[in-house]
Amino acid sequence: MRRARLTLFVFALAGSTVARAQPGTTGALTPPLSPRNANYTITAHLDPATRTITGSEVIVWRNITATPATDLQFHLYWNAWKNTRSTFMREAALSGGAAEAASRSADEWARIDVTTVTIGGADRTSSKRFIAPDDENANDETVMSVPLTQPVSPGGSTRIEVAWTAHVPRTFARTGAIGNFFFIAQWFPKLGVLQDDGWNCHQFHAGTEFFSDFGVYDVALTVPTGWPLGATGVQRERRDNADGTTTHRYYQEDVHDFAWTTSPDYLERTARFEHPSLPAVEMRLLLQPEHASQAGRHFDATRTTLKYYGEWFGAYPYGHITIVDPAYHSDAGGMEYPTLFTAGTRWLAPPRVATPEGVAVHEAGHQFWYGMVATNEFENAWMDEGFNTFSTARAIAQVYDPNYLALRYFGGFVPHLFKDIALSRETEGNRRAGYRRDAKSDVPSTPSYKYFPATGGSITYNKTALWLNTMERWLGWPTLQRIMSTYFEKWKFAHPKPDDFFEVATTVAGRDLDPFFDEVYRSSNVFDYGVQALRSTREGDQYHTTVVIRRYGEALFPVELLVTFTNGEHVSEHWPGTERWKIYTYDRLSPALSAQVDPNRVLLLDVDFTNNSMTLEPKGGPAATKWSLKWTVWLQDALLSWAALL
Amino acid sequence: MSAWRDGIRRVNAAPAVLVGVWALTLLVSLPLGVVMRGMIARHLGRSQAAETAASGVNYDWMQEFAEQASGVGVTFKPTIIGFGAVLDNLSAFLDNTPRPTVIVAAASAYIVLWILLAGGIIDRYARDRATHAYGFFASSGVFFFRFLRLAAVQWIVYAVLFGSIHPLLFERLYPRLIHEMSVERTAFFTRVALYLVFGILVAGCTMIFDYAKVRAVVEDRRSMLGAIAGALGFIRRNAGAAVLLFLLNFALFAIVVGLYALVAPSAGGTGLSMWLAFAIGQVYVAARLWVKLTFWASETALFQERLAHAGYVARPEPTWPESPAADAIQP
Repeated sequence: MRRARLTLFVFALAGSTVARAQPGTTGALTPPLSPRNANYTITAHLDPATRTITGSEVIVWRNITATPATDLQFHLYWNAWKNTRSTFMREAALSGGAAEAASRSADEWARIDVTTVTIGGADRTSSKRFIAPDDENANDETVMSVPLTQPVSPGGSTRIEVAWTAHVPRTFARTGAIGNFFFIAQWFPKLGVLQDDGWNCHQFHAGTEFFSDFGVYDVALTVPTGWPLGATGVQRERRDNADGTTTHRYYQEDVHDFAWTTSPDYLERTARFEHPSLPAVEMRLLLQPEHASQAGRHFDATRTTLKYYGEWFGAYPYGHITIVDPAYHSDAGGMEYPTLFTAGTRWLAPPRVATPEGVAVHEAGHQFWYGMVATNEFENAWMDEGFNTFSTARAIAQVYDPNYLALRYFGGFVPHLFKDIALSRETEGNRRAGYRRDAKSDVPSTPSYKYFPATGGSITYNKTALWLNTMERWLGWPTLQRIMSTYFEKWKFAHPKPDDFFEVATTVAGRDLDPFFDEVYRSSNVFDYGVQALRSTREGDQYHTTVVIRRYGEALFPVELLVTFTNGEHVSEHWPGTERWKIYTYDRLSPALSAQVDPNRVLLLDVDFTNNSMTLEPKGGPAATKWSLKWTVWLQDALLSWAALL
Repeated sequence: MSAWRDGIRRVNAAPAVLVGVWALTLLVSLPLGVVMRGMIARHLGRSQAAETAASGVNYDWMQEFAEQASGVGVTFKPTIIGFGAVLDNLSAFLDNTPRPTVIVAAASAYIVLWILLAGGIIDRYARDRATHAYGFFASSGVFFFRFLRLAAVQWIVYAVLFGSIHPLLFERLYPRLIHEMSVERTAFFTRVALYLVFGILVAGCTMIFDYAKVRAVVEDRRSMLGAIAGALGFIRRNAGAAVLLFLLNFALFAIVVGLYALVAPSAGGTGLSMWLAFAIGQVYVAARLWVKLTFWASETALFQERLAHAGYVARPEPTWPESPAADAIQP
């Protein structure tokens, strides 16, 4: 033990020396970027045959709050998938997950059993108990509390040793196994976050993700020899064992989680991101053999993220990143972990369709919004998912414009590209359709885990992306970029809350943005401005034009009105939009041609854009004829398909 | 091959039949097309969104429309554009995707009309000479109720195929087969294999019912169960020829679909291009109908060929009274 500690010390010293120059090869970062108050040294062994993980960990935890800790609270996420009685599964049932759960065999469920807990040298195993701080569900075993015999005072530390066994499920929430593909996340007993008002250690919920403190992770994983392994951090050591297994030791400083994956099928590819003003990043891709031709697309997407997020918000400091292309049908794609993310592509992935680019850019982007700016995903999921959806759409538009709609047929396998439909950053990138459908489903300021599970994503991802893009179009990109980069710089490697962002935004913008945040964050009101009436009547030698614009929704936002006359003249009006309606009249030599509210489409949250304009030379008839003729051909073809049975 | 060529010749020799079934297809579709037009026009109103919807695709508007749509309107999606429409329908057929009630109702009406006309169509191809409108409709009338009885049997068989066999294959067997499968390509080929199994079952049943209709018309059979038994016997005795003929006709279908994939019009604009796109769509529809008629005509030709009685039809050719005076004749 002593020798091991000495070795570790020497290794750490060597590591810290190298780290200054090469964080991408050591996982060390000097000086520390985060408080590093929750440090994990983990040893785990995977038995693929029984899908069992046996692990032990040593946590050195420091209380960085002003409150003494009288107990320790741990997440045991995998117990969410122990049975259908957990809070996670009950919530999943609300969004249609009951049938899938019912179809699982006993072996496809998960569990994590803590066998021993030692705190400060004292065995506390017998005092551990499950608690359910969110809903008092007595059947939920995702949070474990262990009372301390002696409180850990502010600034004090304690050493915790935990041993456990866990059964790897068939994938739940992008974690688990299929065939010989393993993606292992949220897999070890992990401390919650102690705050001044107590532990923030929520139960696992179906609609939200995670929250934990920064620290140093030193993890030794034993898997069958010959199985490539990818994990958070960098591999510092690999040792082949006599029993046909190999132990991989991964190390990373200044991260708040650790995930890993292994499969004998992985192809491994590497590439490098270089930029004149940003740190270089070594990229490692673990790829499915059937996607071998798509390695370049994964690297390009990751480069896009590192470049644009780096230029817009701040640099990625870790020097390395692992991209995981998950196995088909594993449901492990599209998830972020520190210095590692899962992308997701298809065997048939036509060019000019943003698969895998969309998901790769998004998940790589979480290194910034989640990985570094580590918001509480249980309570404020919009702060990482929404920010990142906005940022993803913006980055995709820089590099992959145009990209087209593709629909998949025949069991979802065969893609067909619709070259008539180039997807727009503002609408499809920010997922406007989903928001419009669920716009009133929840107030964003509600803790995210309390959102209705089936529609929470529309508020978390879509609404936030839309209001950020609205801010960009309203205040200008330079202002929004300064807001976001200032916020990033101020709050990276910390746990900001919503007011922290609002405060930065107001300060940087130099104007009171609270009325806007009241609408988009503190209410579920919808925006809907429209033209109610447009008339031009001849009066003498002039035309008298009347325009009535209306606020159909409850939410308020100042909008422009653009009135165009047949002689090409334009009149622009500014309407604060606080009244229910307003009438504008004009006497001109020419009649009006059209009137349009919000002609520059600043307000992307407007739920009905069709009613935003009115013209006296409508094209609705010809458009309806065109589309109904196309639809008629579709119907004829449908009839013929069924007539084939005659 | 000779029956296939003969079938094509017989279809080409009776263009009125093709025109008739095309008109029927159009007439069944148009009322719903008009309804759809009204829905779209109402939603667009005097909005400037119509300008981009007219000149190309306003996808944002399409999604706004879809969200408020009901009834037939829910089927207005990007998939109706160009070749997407064909993929959508073929995929829906093979995946047994439910369609809205109004579409099912239209398809049901369309099938009933086909049942009405089937006797006349096969009779025309069987006689291999003009039967004129009165002969055509007389045969249609004679066989309508017989084919309606046959349709009842067909309905039961297809209900079993789509209601029990399809779910068995694709909702039970397929998920089991791919349960631990981690390679998409393998999963895809597994699904294709199941499509083949299901397709062969459907094709087999269709072939039996086709020959049942042919035997009913050529031999003037009144028992549809007897016609089915006769069809089974004929296929058993002539399995190679029947299957080869089916495959040749299916190849025609594939060629037609493949050609349409090359020329299927995109969204386009209004005005002439809109009508041109519709015309191309109608040519495709007519080609699909031509293939369907070729199935029946070539199967009729094969049956007659194997009986060594080309052009033989047991039932006398219907004749119309020569003079209205005939109605005045008292017994």
